[in-house]
Amino acid sequence: MPWPTTRRVIGTKVSRLDGPEKATGRAKYSYDINRPGMLHARILRCPHAHARIKSIDTAALEKVAGFRAFHIVRNAGFECRFAGDEVLGVCADTEEHAEDCLRAVRVDYDVLPHAVKEADARRLGAGQGTVGSPPNGPQNPANAQPGGDFATANFDEQAYQGTSHQIEGTYGVPVISHQCLESHGLVAEWNQDQSELTVWASTQAVPNTANQLAQNFKIPAARVRCITHYMGGGFGSKFGPDIQGTVCAELARKTRAPVKLMLDRAEEVTVGGQRPSAYGTVKVAGNRQGDIRAFEVDCYGSPGVGGGATVNFNLLPYVYVTVPFVKRRHQIVRMNVQTARAMRAPGHPQNCILTDQALDDLAAALNMNPMELRLRNLPPNDPNALKTAPNTYMARRNSIYRSQIEIIRKMCDWDRAWHPPGRGDGVVKTGLGMGLHTWGGGGRGPNPTRITISADGSVLVQSSSQDLGTGQRTVTAIVAAEIFGLEPTDITVQIGESQHGPSTPSGGSTTCPGTAPAVLNAAEAARTAFLAAIAPRLNAQAGDLVIERGSILNRANNERTPWRQACARLGQNPVQANGDWAAGLSDQGVGGVQVAEVKVDTETGVVRCTRFWAVQDCGLLINKLCCESQVAGGVIMGVNYALFEECIYDRATGRQVNPDMEFYKLGGIQDMPQIYVHMMDMPERGVIGIGEPPTISTAAAVGNAVFNAIGVRVEHAPFTPERVLAALARRK
Amino acid sequence: MSDIKETTGLSRRQFLKGSGAAAAATALGTAAAPSAQAAQPPAAQQVPGMGPAGVKITLQVNGRKMSSTVEPRVTLLDALRNYLDVTGCKRVCDRGTCGACTVLLDNKPVYACSMLALEAQGKEIRTAESLVQGAKLDAVPAAFVRFDAQQCGFCTPGFVVAMKAVLEQNPKATPAEVEKGLAGNICRCGTYEQMRDAIYSLCNTKRG
Ligand code: FES
Ligand code: FES
Repeated sequence: MPWPTTRRVIGTKVSRLDGPEKATGRAKYSYDINRPGMLHARILRCPHAHARIKSIDTAALEKVAGFRAFHIVRNAGFECRFAGDEVLGVCADTEEHAEDCLRAVRVDYDVLPHAVKEADARRLGAGQGTVGSPPNGPQNPANAQPGGDFATANFDEQAYQGTSHQIEGTYGVPVISHQCLESHGLVAEWNQDQSELTVWASTQAVPNTANQLAQNFKIPAARVRCITHYMGGGFGSKFGPDIQGTVCAELARKTRAPVKLMLDRAEEVTVGGQRPSAYGTVKVAGNRQGDIRAFEVDCYGSPGVGGGATVNFNLLPYVYVTVPFVKRRHQIVRMNVQTARAMRAPGHPQNCILTDQALDDLAAALNMNPMELRLRNLPPNDPNALKTAPNTYMARRNSIYRSQIEIIRKMCDWDRAWHPPGRGDGVVKTGLGMGLHTWGGGGRGPNPTRITISADGSVLVQSSSQDLGTGQRTVTAIVAAEIFGLEPTDITVQIGESQHGPSTPSGGSTTCPGTAPAVLNAAEAARTAFLAAIAPRLNAQAGDLVIERGSILNRANNERTPWRQACARLGQNPVQANGDWAAGLSDQGVGGVQVAEVKVDTETGVVRCTRFWAVQDCGLLINKLCCESQVAGGVIMGVNYALFEECIYDRATGRQVNPDMEFYKLGGIQDMPQIYVHMMDMPERGVIGIGEPPTISTAAAVGNAVFNAIGVRVEHAPFTPERVLAALARRK
Repeated sequence: MSDIKETTGLSRRQFLKGSGAAAAATALGTAAAPSAQAAQPPAAQQVPGMGPAGVKITLQVNGRKMSSTVEPRVTLLDALRNYLDVTGCKRVCDRGTCGACTVLLDNKPVYACSMLALEAQGKEIRTAESLVQGAKLDAVPAAFVRFDAQQCGFCTPGFVVAMKAVLEQNPKATPAEVEKGLAGNICRCGTYEQMRDAIYSLCNTKRG
């Protein structure tokens, strides 16, 4: 069944159903679960950036008040590869006592050489690596590994032919941390005979977390129950129990008591996930008219000690994928910090930083308005896609960006407000900058969803999917309310419990497009079953019955029966139906355009982002209110990325010096721009996810705005006063 | 638990038994006995640990007297969350930077992570949970809901309490003054823009 063509609730602004619970602190997050007789656990971590465990002495634990049990994670001989690597878990009757326990354990290490700066790692470990060997991996692999090498045929001979203007620029972003406000962790509790485990976990993947724990403890998956009714942010960093989950459940098993283990802030920042750094030199060349012919990038970044990508190599240049000549090289630099985890559009913000900022530098060289340069070089609508799949991003990308740029141009009054870089009088200079992005956000299954209509008129929707703060609970209610002629508040939604069946993890902006179609299909099946059940009791043919707002209409005699009265006819037999995701109701591939306005104080170097505009498409809008929230939230995360955030590692000790929220800067309300969001509704495309895209181009747009304000490029984010002043000094 | 009248002269073993029971009872919200395992600490616990023993405290929370036994080092935040099961105040930075733990102490907003539970005795403590009576939401959380000024919601009770404090102190506060009152709070999901909508509506001011 397709989406209804006339929509009463879908696409409107609906307040979150769980809003009151959350705003008054009554919502219970995993961190808030207190079970009777619950113990508290902590993890002892390696304080060195690189060290081999010599010995672990736990004898003194027995003397610590409140101590209950410990669990060794790593034995003597294990090579810890970053400050924060888990060594041992311990639990006690109170958190205070658990803290005491950590101090009672003595671990001796052989301290090994480390590198926590990309430059150091590259310099030191060209042949024999210095940052350590991965468990079960090759011995001492080189610190820096090739991450990709590509060139269009005949690049060297032809790329620069006929180009009149060329720029070379350096751009970069540091390692940052997810900084989820609710840290990673869980409460674990076994049943009496220890055959069943229940966890309240802060996770983006409820069934996944249960399944992984079942595997670890070698018990049937059905005997592990994961509950996540509320969770305080994940951003890509919470897809399983992690080591702390296993430690917690193990301690609960040993002590036969419920155990809580939530990371503290320093742990959250140093082991809870990071977004890789990316630094690169970019050359872009084009002709006088502004047609870009060549794009060349040589970049590197660090995904931490474990390896993995840092940019999205194949999508460089970002968005402008049809530039005729492209050459790219990427190096992956392993260093002694935690391994990267997916963070809100992995690789894309870095790609955008490397592409969009270089474009503005070329525009400046050409003496051209950067908006015009972009319009000129947008990738065309793909002619093949136009034939086969005319609603997709590929088929429509040029049209989408073009219309988005037109909209934003008016919203921010670009034609009047933009000025050539560095123009403007006074000490505080204003600048405008823009960026473009794209993301997938497609849906998939399995997301089985069950709907129950009862005689009291209540409608219950159940699935195991989770609400990360995206408004998933409300999305579910909106779709059901649309089909049953009810209001979202009439629908009871039970999600975030693994026993409701499988569901896809909330990653890659796939939750809404993965679940909304499932709810639609379940609701349509339930409607059919419901009408069939009540038809005889209303002396009607099921085929004559239709659901209207609040009532059932019998088209044969134009009689209306209010919803509740109709449901009452169900008697003891509630109607139940299931549905799952199916192709055709969701799509993938979105575009977005953003513009930043900044004010740069050229005496202090302080950058303030004052206003921000974001135009975003996401297919069929389900809840316009929460979509706008997602976009504004993504922008704020991007402004933080541009101006404030950086994991700073100390070269001497190898530890992060700001694993906190004080010296790891995150903006408050007064630091953030006024944000103007425009959502494009494209219902013909079906549902597409919106979590990731709006944070992608923000930092590049801010960087370009700073360049536009002061006429000189600040190479590396965050654009701190120190870096801005240094850039200004270079200009003089 | 009722046999613990005072802490002086109490052996550690007795104390631990008592505190275990206290934790269990508050977690349940009833006076249920802890499980057999939890009630029998291993012999090792008879050896004195670090710091002075726990003391009985009574806090006045959201109009109710609540008691527990906590060590002097326990913060107000941890006493509320771990010993009294009042979890609307969240622990995030635990170092006085994020505001997630904000509570009202005699009507003044404080970071509950940055003061000891002992110091809060005799004072009137209010958390976000107090801002709803039955189904009736206070105007501040109601505005957060209406304008969607929350995503994951983990920072939200702290913001709500901080905003309540500003508006109680000065019902005529301007939007800029309210924003200033929120300068000590951090939201990772980025709900500030929607929060401004809530602020303008609470200040009866039209947003330009
Ligand atoms: S937890 Fe108290 S200020 Fe952050
Ligand atoms: S709503 Fe998630 S941190 Fe503020």
